[in-house]
Amino acid sequence: MATLRGIPQGEWIEFSRLKAILQATDGNLGSHIATLEGAGYIAVNKDFVGKKPRTRVALTRSGRKAFAQHIEFLRTILDAAASRHNDQEGTS
Amino acid sequence: MMLSPQDAAGALRDIEAAQARSAKLHGCARSSPQLLLWGVLWVIGYGLQYLFPAHAGVIWGAIVPIGLIAGFAALRGAGHEVGWRYGAVALTLVAFFAAVFLVLWPINPRQQAALIPLGVAAAYVIAGIWRGPRYVTTGIAVAALTLAGFFLLKQHFFLWMAGVGGASLILAGIWLKRA
Repeated sequence: MATLRGIPQGEWIEFSRLKAILQATDGNLGSHIATLEGAGYIAVNKDFVGKKPRTRVALTRSGRKAFAQHIEFLRTILDAAASRHNDQEGTS
Repeated sequence: MMLSPQDAAGALRDIEAAQARSAKLHGCARSSPQLLLWGVLWVIGYGLQYLFPAHAGVIWGAIVPIGLIAGFAALRGAGHEVGWRYGAVALTLVAFFAAVFLVLWPINPRQQAALIPLGVAAAYVIAGIWRGPRYVTTGIAVAALTLAGFFLLKQHFFLWMAGVGGASLILAGIWLKRA
């Protein structure tokens, strides 16, 4: 998801390219993509370039939103920890 | 499952690193076909200019639109988003070089032929400041080869730009593709 988020919105990336970036295997990446597609977080497009099959994936709007919420959640944890740390320093 | 602040910080670092890496590599994949295309067009354009120096205007008047249209088609074919920015970048470059030639006029064909690659080289170095050293290396190589040909090979400058300049763009395109 983070890798797909690094690609400009509305752009697709080829499966083979994504596999090379992630250094993943076909099976592993395929399984992740199927799960994320099932959740509606990514879209998969299969077509042909000439006679060669091509699979491309892109983050959907809801996937982008869900991932942004996940990042926000992680930041909330850090903010809460920082706030607790500041409170402890204030009382000591 | 509760995440510790350390876990959250680590996850955020990993996300940022993954995003930066994919943005960089995606940029390389986007630029590579353009470099390959313009490398081939440089070979053709400068090669024809070497053979028919009196027809430089006609040659480049045909090559540049072909390159822009083919570049657009290559990006679309690869699934890249190509909106008004592509046209805006092309228009800016054409307007910039037209303005430079106008300001410097009269300018001889060798100077014209050197100025454009130098401008392109500068653009690559500037892009590389954000996108990574491969762009900087490409820009410096194109600029160095252009200057070397311009000052050292006065008679055969166009041939030099066709062979060495075009080849350097093609090699840079292959290099970016493998990033």
